Amino acid sequence: MKVQEIERVILEKLPDTIFKRDETGKTGSSWSAVVAASGIRDAAKAFETSGFFLEDIMALDFQDTFELVYHFNCYEPGSRVVVRVLFGHDQVPPSICDIFRGAGWLEREVHDFFGISFSGNPDLRPLLLPEDADYHPLRKDFGKVSAYRKREDIYG
Amino acid sequence: MSEGFLSSEWLRLILGLLIVLGFSQLNALFLVWLERKVAGHIQLRPGPMEVGPHGLLQTIMDGIKLIGKELILPLQADKKLFFVAPVLVFMPVLVGFLVLPFGPNMVIHEMNVGVLLIFAFSTFTVLAILAGGWASNNKYALLGAVRSVAQNIAYEIPLLLAVMSVVIMVNSLSFSDIVNAQRTVWFIFLQPVAGLIYLISATAETNRAPFDIPEAESELVAGFHTEYSGMGFGLFFLAEYTNMFIVSAVATSLFFGGWNGPFGISLGIPGVFWFLFKTYVLIFVIMWVRWTFPRIRFDQLMNFSWKVMIPVSLANLVVTAIVLKLI
Amino acid sequence: MAERQIASPASQKIYSLNLGPQHPSTHGVLRILLDLDGEFIVKADPVIGYGHRGHEKMGENRIYKQFLPNTSRMDYLSGMIFNHGFALAVEKLIGIEVPERAKYIRVIASELNRISSHLLWFGTYLMDLGGFTPFLYAFDDREHILDILDSVSGSRLTYSYCRFGGVCRDVDAAFIDMTRAFLKRMAGRWADYDNLVTKNIIFINRTRDVGIIDRELSRQYGVTGPNLRACGIGYDVRKAEPYEVYDRFDFEVPTGSKGDALDRYDVRFKEMQQSCRIIDQALDHLPGGPYLSKVPQKLVPPKGEVYFAFESARGLTAYYLVSDGSTSPYRCHIRVPSFGNLNVLNEVLPETMVADAISILGSIDVVIPEIDR
Repeated sequence: MKVQEIERVILEKLPDTIFKRDETGKTGSSWSAVVAASGIRDAAKAFETSGFFLEDIMALDFQDTFELVYHFNCYEPGSRVVVRVLFGHDQVPPSICDIFRGAGWLEREVHDFFGISFSGNPDLRPLLLPEDADYHPLRKDFGKVSAYRKREDIYG
Repeated sequence: MSEGFLSSEWLRLILGLLIVLGFSQLNALFLVWLERKVAGHIQLRPGPMEVGPHGLLQTIMDGIKLIGKELILPLQADKKLFFVAPVLVFMPVLVGFLVLPFGPNMVIHEMNVGVLLIFAFSTFTVLAILAGGWASNNKYALLGAVRSVAQNIAYEIPLLLAVMSVVIMVNSLSFSDIVNAQRTVWFIFLQPVAGLIYLISATAETNRAPFDIPEAESELVAGFHTEYSGMGFGLFFLAEYTNMFIVSAVATSLFFGGWNGPFGISLGIPGVFWFLFKTYVLIFVIMWVRWTFPRIRFDQLMNFSWKVMIPVSLANLVVTAIVLKLI
Repeated sequence: MAERQIASPASQKIYSLNLGPQHPSTHGVLRILLDLDGEFIVKADPVIGYGHRGHEKMGENRIYKQFLPNTSRMDYLSGMIFNHGFALAVEKLIGIEVPERAKYIRVIASELNRISSHLLWFGTYLMDLGGFTPFLYAFDDREHILDILDSVSGSRLTYSYCRFGGVCRDVDAAFIDMTRAFLKRMAGRWADYDNLVTKNIIFINRTRDVGIIDRELSRQYGVTGPNLRACGIGYDVRKAEPYEVYDRFDFEVPTGSKGDALDRYDVRFKEMQQSCRIIDQALDHLPGGPYLSKVPQKLVPPKGEVYFAFESARGLTAYYLVSDGSTSPYRCHIRVPSFGNLNVLNEVLPETMVADAISILGSIDVVIPEIDR
């Protein structure tokens, strides 16, 4: 099965990745792996050569960290896997838009909403917000309300 | 010319012109209403029903509304050309009415080069469309105008070749002669290929669907008449329907027997009614085609003309000439 | 596909044209900046965001059941399916049981919605190509579906029919009769549409070999739904990760072969027929019983996340909800299929003609408000 194979390939490239199985079935994926920001490009390349497609990139804003959630899937039943990248508020993760060309727009959207710049993405113009927008609405300190939580509060 | 009141050439011309002006306006009004009704019924809906019985007064009301609208001149548009274009597109089609035989001895001005006159003047519409599109200072209008010029030039050729096939059969360019020659059998039965080519080319010449790329609403907003409002737009619109009438009337005269009844039997009905009836049936067919088929893409349209229509019409002309020589 | 001698960049005369944002055929507020060389497109840059309303931020400031109406407004043509998906996502997060009858009713409503979305796509696609009549025929059929769904939910387009734990109102005999009459009517209509459109040589020439999105391109951009199935990959979430009672029905997943506009048209056409099959089977097996299970008024989900994927009319859609143990989500993200479907135009549109661009845009069936959210 492709899912087991890709797990093996990622462990080869990034040996200290921790895979968390999904027992409850709520995450819709087989496993979720936390990868360092420097390793996301290797992981993405592994997925690309194995025939996966990038389903989604999403960001989460916590008090102590930013989190990027990448969903990869291939066209077989039950093959969705999640890769997470945790990095600080002042760090700049690398872009994977040359590996998966569809990631260009997804990263633009994340930049729009959170202000996360992706190094290597040539075009980070606002996608959904107006061209001259200099605010990032989905951050938890946007506007008057500060709704920050810590990551361990939610994920333990 | 016979004796009497109408023998004066000038009087005949003036009276004819007045009738033509009146008839062409009424005809255009009627055709706009007919188009909307035909479209409605093909699309399972009744069409205009509110204004007048079955919407008969709709077009008049629309005309009055259009006259009352502001004539907007776009910024940096060529003012003279912009206002000349709608007038230029309307004038030539009126000329066509002068030489068409509405009935036996019912031609306003009998000319022995009537066919040539009509087709010479119909090319003015291309000039007017180009003028309108260029003068609008609008990229969509320019694109539409350029496409229209290419399309009109391409379809002019098979049109004329098809007509030539009929002309060499009769040996005359006069409409009356051609109609008189169809007293017993209509030319559509002798020249079916030419008739079909003529009808297809005529639809393309009048920019009707499926050849309405120059005014493709869903691609170029409105093509060459994007920037026109009020009566300028109204004139383009009316000219299209009058052109449709001319083209159908020419088809009737050349291929469907003009004012003759079928096989020479007139059933006591005057020729002019036969002529109008056949013309309006052809117009109805053109409208029917518009609401049934999608639009042909521009390069497919050009390919169809240059690679299919012209060789076929040329071959038809050659075959006609050979057969005439042998008979 | 139009053959073209590709002019060298030095001899190209580029002029820029704006397709949209107000345009009869951009299916929402979409602006494509086209660089044209005569009739051919050299570069295409879609500009979106004109309909951004901040649904994801709204999700963080609403309690879960207040977000239900928002879901219909994103992809308003599959409003019921989005509703359904959100209800399923929250039920999965909290662990709410849904009675059998409610499951069948939700499936019937979703499949009716899918048919109405495809009918609208069919009508507007033909209108873009210049054939005005099929538009009215399709809308006539669609009216029947809207009447059926109106009778049970109260709205014609943006439904809030599903609730956490079932549906808000039960269906009665009138609903079942109307649905059966509709299925009978459609059984005769497919042949009409075939004769009017599918076999029309002009239509085939406008769509064959136009806008080919092959497998590699689909994978790069995350294209899903009928656009993906048109290039031969039979991936449908209803079969790959069955939810509700879809695993009890017998239906096929139509696929194409080349990935051109004609294949996309064929796939959607056949999908409508398959949806009719599903509705038929669901009506046959509709069980009795309750239609809404008891759910506490104040819903406080446990901490954690849920990612629920389902098949909307446009492709794989997913709700990603992160709960921090309070009555509102910490993050409410929606993965929409039209995002990738529109993204792929960056590579498909260059080297085509403007007329083809309209045909391609219509055939990929994007709904812009879904992308803008």
